[in-house]
Amino acid sequence: MAGQLTSERRVLYLYGITEGRPRKLPVLIGVDRFSPVEAIDCDGVYCWVSRVSALDFENDLASNMENLDWLAETSVAHQRVIAAISRLTDILPTRFGTVFRTEDSLCRHIAKRVKGLKQDFVRIKGADEWGVKVFVIQPAALPVPRARSGRDYLQAKAAMLPARKPKSLPREDMLQFEKALADVATESASAGNVSRGQRGLAFQTSLLVKRTKRAKLESVLETFARDWARERRIECTGPWPPYSFVSRPDDKVRAK
Amino acid sequence: MSAASNAVVFTGDDPSDEMTLLDILDHVLNKGVVLRGNIIISLAGVDLVYLGLDVILTSVETALKHVNAAALSPQK
Repeated sequence: MAGQLTSERRVLYLYGITEGRPRKLPVLIGVDRFSPVEAIDCDGVYCWVSRVSALDFENDLASNMENLDWLAETSVAHQRVIAAISRLTDILPTRFGTVFRTEDSLCRHIAKRVKGLKQDFVRIKGADEWGVKVFVIQPAALPVPRARSGRDYLQAKAAMLPARKPKSLPREDMLQFEKALADVATESASAGNVSRGQRGLAFQTSLLVKRTKRAKLESVLETFARDWARERRIECTGPWPPYSFVSRPDDKVRAK
Repeated sequence: MSAASNAVVFTGDDPSDEMTLLDILDHVLNKGVVLRGNIIISLAGVDLVYLGLDVILTSVETALKHVNAAALSPQK
């Protein structure tokens, strides 16, 4: 891998920002599966970075992102680093692909944003993000009828798959569900540009939940899941670092 | 969160858990603190990634249909 050539130029890949630094730093490997993760003090906050190949993460980043194998591996590595840090201290996770050429440029950018970042630390203190999805359960499939042609057969099979866009859920049910979630969560946010295409998915949201309310969230979800057992399935992912609660509407990413 | 419940599907609590790739992409590409680093990914670029994923998922689904069709086709 190009990232293993020590003589090539390196850039700082930023994973996230924390207010404090654990006494004992965790041993973590970066998105290139090679560079160690380190914490740099910038204007009183800590930026978690690793020094990655400029070729892979600066020159070729856009084309690498079109390589879905590379994107899958690297985004999972990005999430693993942030998740590991979040188990030690609250972290503001950074969006994938944020790279700085030097420590000076990183610290200059942080200095401009440090006031807003401090507000975000208060907002996410002691809380995790949870993803909640509701899927419509399809009735048991009938056997595929004997087909006269391949086309008939594929059409029959396609009809058996859960709908990509299921019917909307009863309004009263969803109001109750959302109210119950709102009672537990500090905030909610929309979710799912990529996963919204999952078959049968009828509702999804991201929640910011204090760790002290985690059991309550579990209880609410289990109550609704029992009530909906025959019609709907609830899936919950988490705890996530609070990705959905640290960006702002004016955070536009622009082409160079 | 407890994985003991049969009623709700929970994933991601254990560090060894593999959250689904779709969920990870949703979070790391679309959310998180945006800082103006030296490298800036255009929104159009991210949209292309989503488009690519949709094509891949659709292709996988189509491929599975064909596999099922082959496996379930009437026996001679």
